[in-house]
Amino acid sequence: MAKKLHENICDEIRFNALFKKHAKDLSNFLYYKFGDHLNPKDKTQDAFIKLWENCKKVAPDKAKSYLFTVANNLMLNEAKHHKVVLKHQQTKPKHHTNESPEFVMEEQEYMQKLQSALSSLTDAQRTAFMMNRVEGKRHKEIAELLGISTKAVEKRIYGALKKLREDIKEL
Amino acid sequence: MKQEDLIKKWLDNSLNSQEFEAFKTLEAFDELTRLDNALQQFKPQDFESNTELEKLQFALKKRTKQQHKWLKPFIQIAAILAICVGFYYFTSNLETNFNTELAQKENILLPDNTTVKLNAKSALAFNNKNWKSSRAIDLTGEAYFKVSKGSKFTVHTSVGDISVLGTEFNIKDRDNLFEVVCYEGSVKVDYNKISRILKPGESFLVLDNKVVEKPKTKNTSPFWINNESNFKSMPYSQVLAEFERQYNVTFSVNDIDANEVFTGGFPHNNLDNALQAITIPLNLAFTKNNNKISLKRE
Repeated sequence: MAKKLHENICDEIRFNALFKKHAKDLSNFLYYKFGDHLNPKDKTQDAFIKLWENCKKVAPDKAKSYLFTVANNLMLNEAKHHKVVLKHQQTKPKHHTNESPEFVMEEQEYMQKLQSALSSLTDAQRTAFMMNRVEGKRHKEIAELLGISTKAVEKRIYGALKKLREDIKEL
Repeated sequence: MKQEDLIKKWLDNSLNSQEFEAFKTLEAFDELTRLDNALQQFKPQDFESNTELEKLQFALKKRTKQQHKWLKPFIQIAAILAICVGFYYFTSNLETNFNTELAQKENILLPDNTTVKLNAKSALAFNNKNWKSSRAIDLTGEAYFKVSKGSKFTVHTSVGDISVLGTEFNIKDRDNLFEVVCYEGSVKVDYNKISRILKPGESFLVLDNKVVEKPKTKNTSPFWINNESNFKSMPYSQVLAEFERQYNVTFSVNDIDANEVFTGGFPHNNLDNALQAITIPLNLAFTKNNNKISLKRE
């Protein structure tokens, strides 16, 4: 076995590099999975603080999964009774529009349907699906982040898409 | 290719151009495009890695400071304890001190009822706390002891130790002069390597580091107890030194042999009488100027 370059991440430079590499993914992951109201950014901070405190115990190659697990648990402690709602950004009203009022209203309705359809997906489905659709991440990257197989990611994403389409049609 | 496979490939962004054309013709294409566009609005808030990192570093710094907070009360307690222990140690070893200035005498009663008379310009110190286990006194100058019976009583001086069981004796430890006179009981004197036991009336005298034999005295207490100084064959310098101590004056001496031997005494309560007492026998004349006295041969 090759000798590890660094025994731990108790070093500001290495720790900061780790933050830059994983913090955004972690924050977004928490957002997709648990929604916005539990403040994924704060939980990301907390997870990194916890990592810093335990930096001697966590091997560098385990740091990522440690972070995701800790943040996930922090969220779960609070999330038990909340329903996940993803906020869609307010579309800015355009100054001049050719769209008819009917079209605008239909659009709004569609967004609402989509929102509730997203809420009714499972956490696992929604997380993988949003990573794929919103951030354009490929299946392989998602599989790495979540620590599951590519096949499972594909299954989750396709399942999510199928369910969304059905739900939107029904509503 | 089946619709499902195409959609799966589209999801993985891995359609080639041919497949993409096929995908476009799918019935679900419009619906999927619309869904995909709508989903873009669910983007999470931008994550500024740098500002978030600054926040984290700030939080971590605050945290390390907080972690040290528990230390503070411990340090405070430790400091108080250290002060208490230090104070106790200091006071328990602190000696009780008595000092007399020039032209001043003092009577001291020790814890065991031993009485000590301290002559002028002398100092006495003893440890009150350890008194019961060891009766020991540090002395500089001159003092008369009436030791009550009990365990060994020791007086440490700059040149020698005197130990007794219960007796009366006088110690004089001045510059170039060390004298112990026993008046009652017996006294043991350790001076350098000499050890001598004194019986009543006997004395031990060291002048300029030389032991001098002296005849027995018949007095029952030293003269200075009765406000007099008495000398028997003493160098004149010692007489003047004692005079200075008793009257707080200074002598300036012209062409007088300081080693000339003097026998006699002077009272402690009358300066003029005292001056006459020490000058007339040697045919000296004195002139007084405040606290300065000059001596001349007549």
